[in-house]
Amino acid sequence: MIEDGSGSQHGGQLGPGSGGLGMVTKQQQDDVGQRPQYSMPGILHFLQTEWARFEMERSQWEVERAELQARIAFLQGERKGQENLKQDLVRRIKMLEFALKQERAKYHKLKYGTDLNPEDLKPPVFDKKDVLRVRMKPPPLKKKTAAERSRQRWETIKADEDRYESQKLKDRERNQRTVSYLYQMRRQRDLNNRTFSPEEPSPVTLFRVRTETDDQVDGEQALTSAANSNAQWRQGRQLLRQYLQEIGYTDTIIDVRSARVRSLLGLQPMAGDAENENQPALVNGEQQPGKRDVQGKSDENEDGMAADDESDERLERKGVKIKVMGNESMAGEDMMDDPETEEALAEFDFLVSESGEGAGEARSHHSSDWEKKDASSNADWSVDQRHISELKEQYKKERKGKKTRPTRSALQAMLANLGSEDDLPELQTGSSSPPQAGENEELEAGVQGGGGLGFPPGSRKPMLGGSDDEEFDGALGLGELAGLTVTNEADPTTYDISTPKEVFRKTWNAKYTLRSHFDGVRALAFHPVEPVLLTASEDNTLKLWNLQKTVPAKKAASLDVEPVYTFRAHVGPVLSLAVSATGEQCFSGGMDATIRCWNIPNSNIDPYDSFDPSVLQDTLVAHTDAVWGLSIHSSKMHLLSCSSDGTVRLWSPGTKSPLLNTFTVDSETGVPTSVDFVRCDPSQLVASYTSSNTYIFDMETGKEVLTLETRQNCDLSGSNQINRVINHPTMPITITAHEDRHIRFFDNNTGKMIHSMVAHLDSVTSLAVDPNGLYLLSGSHDCSIRLWNLDSKTCVQEITSHRKKFDESIHDVAFHPQKPYIASAGADALAKVFV
Amino acid sequence: MKMANATATIVRRNRPGTKSKDWCSWQDESFEEMDSTLAVQQFIQQAIRKDVSKVEEILTPPEGQDEGVWKYEHLRQFCMELNGLAVKLQASSECNPDTCTQMTATEQWIFLCAAHKTPKECPAIDYTRHTLDGAACLLNSNKYFPSRVSIKESSVAKLGSVCRRVYRIFSHAYFHHRALFDEYENETHLCRRFTLFVTKYNLMPRDNLIVPILGDQQAAEGESEA
Repeated sequence: MIEDGSGSQHGGQLGPGSGGLGMVTKQQQDDVGQRPQYSMPGILHFLQTEWARFEMERSQWEVERAELQARIAFLQGERKGQENLKQDLVRRIKMLEFALKQERAKYHKLKYGTDLNPEDLKPPVFDKKDVLRVRMKPPPLKKKTAAERSRQRWETIKADEDRYESQKLKDRERNQRTVSYLYQMRRQRDLNNRTFSPEEPSPVTLFRVRTETDDQVDGEQALTSAANSNAQWRQGRQLLRQYLQEIGYTDTIIDVRSARVRSLLGLQPMAGDAENENQPALVNGEQQPGKRDVQGKSDENEDGMAADDESDERLERKGVKIKVMGNESMAGEDMMDDPETEEALAEFDFLVSESGEGAGEARSHHSSDWEKKDASSNADWSVDQRHISELKEQYKKERKGKKTRPTRSALQAMLANLGSEDDLPELQTGSSSPPQAGENEELEAGVQGGGGLGFPPGSRKPMLGGSDDEEFDGALGLGELAGLTVTNEADPTTYDISTPKEVFRKTWNAKYTLRSHFDGVRALAFHPVEPVLLTASEDNTLKLWNLQKTVPAKKAASLDVEPVYTFRAHVGPVLSLAVSATGEQCFSGGMDATIRCWNIPNSNIDPYDSFDPSVLQDTLVAHTDAVWGLSIHSSKMHLLSCSSDGTVRLWSPGTKSPLLNTFTVDSETGVPTSVDFVRCDPSQLVASYTSSNTYIFDMETGKEVLTLETRQNCDLSGSNQINRVINHPTMPITITAHEDRHIRFFDNNTGKMIHSMVAHLDSVTSLAVDPNGLYLLSGSHDCSIRLWNLDSKTCVQEITSHRKKFDESIHDVAFHPQKPYIASAGADALAKVFV
Repeated sequence: MKMANATATIVRRNRPGTKSKDWCSWQDESFEEMDSTLAVQQFIQQAIRKDVSKVEEILTPPEGQDEGVWKYEHLRQFCMELNGLAVKLQASSECNPDTCTQMTATEQWIFLCAAHKTPKECPAIDYTRHTLDGAACLLNSNKYFPSRVSIKESSVAKLGSVCRRVYRIFSHAYFHHRALFDEYENETHLCRRFTLFVTKYNLMPRDNLIVPILGDQQAAEGESEA
């Protein structure tokens, strides 16, 4: 019945409505066929049935509306509860920090007989004279108030909800089912609509709602923190409890609620018997999650965790130990505090482990924090403050992205419906420009939801080549996106894991980690079409990776990929790499002065297939020292190489005499570091040198035709070599990456500098321009890659990506020629792919 | 700070254009000053570059070094350098599926390739490649070795089986491609280092170490046998 109601927006031909409609059609047929035989009773009967039907539908809608409102209230309640939980945790962390400070002070005092700087001893939120008492006493008090506060708020929420729910408590279960069904129906419909209507599904609305709830919560906090008397709280709680019992809101329901919150938080709900053994759930409702978390934590400890997470976790556990020990040694009465403390920390650990993989940036931040702390025994807690706020952020993200995913989409659907009936159609018939269609489709690939909450809208654009991109290749871009969706569907793992990020990311996120090299990865290149890439490493090998062959990684946001083929032939590190435009061959240059030409095996090859000597097709020998740069022409089968023997060479691989030409300059210019074709002029090439000079050569004559003013514009002449030179794919612009942290742009016709910018915190090692020529990707030894808008020359995104080995970090970056992938290669023997 | 000064003065980088003779030719960094998560690898590689023949020194860990990580990083280095031996075997065409149809050292054993679902009698060259590829995957596995700064006890146990398998590459080369082996060993001292390594950390039973490379007595025996 109600199910029909949901569909009735599109037409009431189902269920009760079908009779009436059928009648109409029949009569119309009669119209056409013979003379209609209208009779008064017939008409009256028809009108009556119609009226009855409309009434019925109306009442159904009303019921539905009430249900949805209830649902909203429920979700808002859940949200508030989670907010409180988070605040509670943060408060506990602060307490622990404080306790540790105290412990340090005590230690300091015992050791040196003097007090530490008294400012440090200030308790974080409250002040009491007796330091020890402050440390020991307030935590339970504070915690209790916090717990109770949240509990009370819970009850308030529940009371609100009861206004809707009490009348329907009996057929509650049915409603739940109905609601979920409604949600599904609606979602289905939304999906259908979205396929054709490109407007972003009401992120604004949702955003507004969210802010409102935030404000609300904040306001409430202000209120509650103002009145934090314990007695008051207890009183209020009692009252509410009474009220709840009066209206039949039993503890069981509250239990169900809290269990649901926990499950939403991703905590593993245990068997219910633990609950039964304990005191009334209302009282120890806060403690139960703790127990669970401890359990969950130990589980996680046994599993393999990412390196950084582990170190983080260790750090956290140190904290626990200190705190717990402090408590035990100080007073027995505080023992009751321990479970709570542990609980808080356990919950925190859960957050750490869950969020660890979240964003590469934050992750490596942690680790660097950790390292710093390790290095200096006098670690400052202010460092941790940052750490905590990061974790909070991550937790928020995580929670938004993962936990409430289905409910949130349901909420959104409901909002769209309830807020104003007109909203929905309006949203669905927005402008139909391809970029937005793309975004929607993308959104669809990840679960739809309140995309971009709290993020500037459109900040995700670069990834899908937002509106700018689409102006260049509208239809094509859409085609690729469609392909992306298919890919996601084909790989359920990918789909699942990527969805929470898809919804909230503004730009690129690490998705695949390519681990298998033993030493720094010097170069990488994508296959022109397939989601396949090649890496070249200092471990003397190249590896072929198929991004569709992933190893399912446990509770990590990024997937591990194992190589499908390992190319061995170089004696010494492999330094450069280029893949032919057909994707059938690749070329690698090594320290051994050779250039190897490989036939790329099928990307679905068995990694442990038998040895095929034909993979190594040819070896180009002419250079006498390390081959540092390779560049391949997209249409001609021409290859450029530059070597530390001082020469740049042009090859035509696969022919009898492959070496076509050699380009040299005065020895004072140093040796070439990087080389590229001038994409706008097929007869020219550009090469940069250790002396920071850059020349454009004519390939026919082998002569320099232009000197770019790279050297004139460098402040620190001499030490400022150019690490990479690339040419814009469509415009006559050369871009250089400098050791002095700059990226510079030059006009190929005049040689004049167009723009210069300090792009990184350390030397810039690598550059890549996206196939449309709109975005620039740069990698640096400052461990980060940055994405730049070539139009505005502004940084769109920075991702911390790799660790340092000696003073090197990132060696290469790349764009996939067609698919939305970018990749970075690092000295830490890893390559990462971002989507 | 001290560290900051050190990095400010010497930047240890192989920039594009570096000649092969200048590769990694920077001043040594003391282990204490290495603040990278890859410090152990840096330390080992630095020692190797200093003098590849001083295998005892290369195998001497810095003070207070966690043994699990030390073993792990060394094994990574071994597998990496064994690529060189594999390339030699492969490029010389001396070891191809026709000449060495099975992975053998002495006549006593035929080694089955463990890279497959059911261990397979791969030709020696395939055994070599598969073993190295498999070792690369295992040693880089996020499951067993998620971190390069601390290693779980359960994962340290995996190192022994990797050692056992890669050692067969040495023994095959020694017993079937002796000239090649000697050439490689003279350059890298890898087998000697490896033998000392597994002996020192008890990663392989002694009687499995069939290449007589350690100690005069053993070596003499080896010579006479050969």
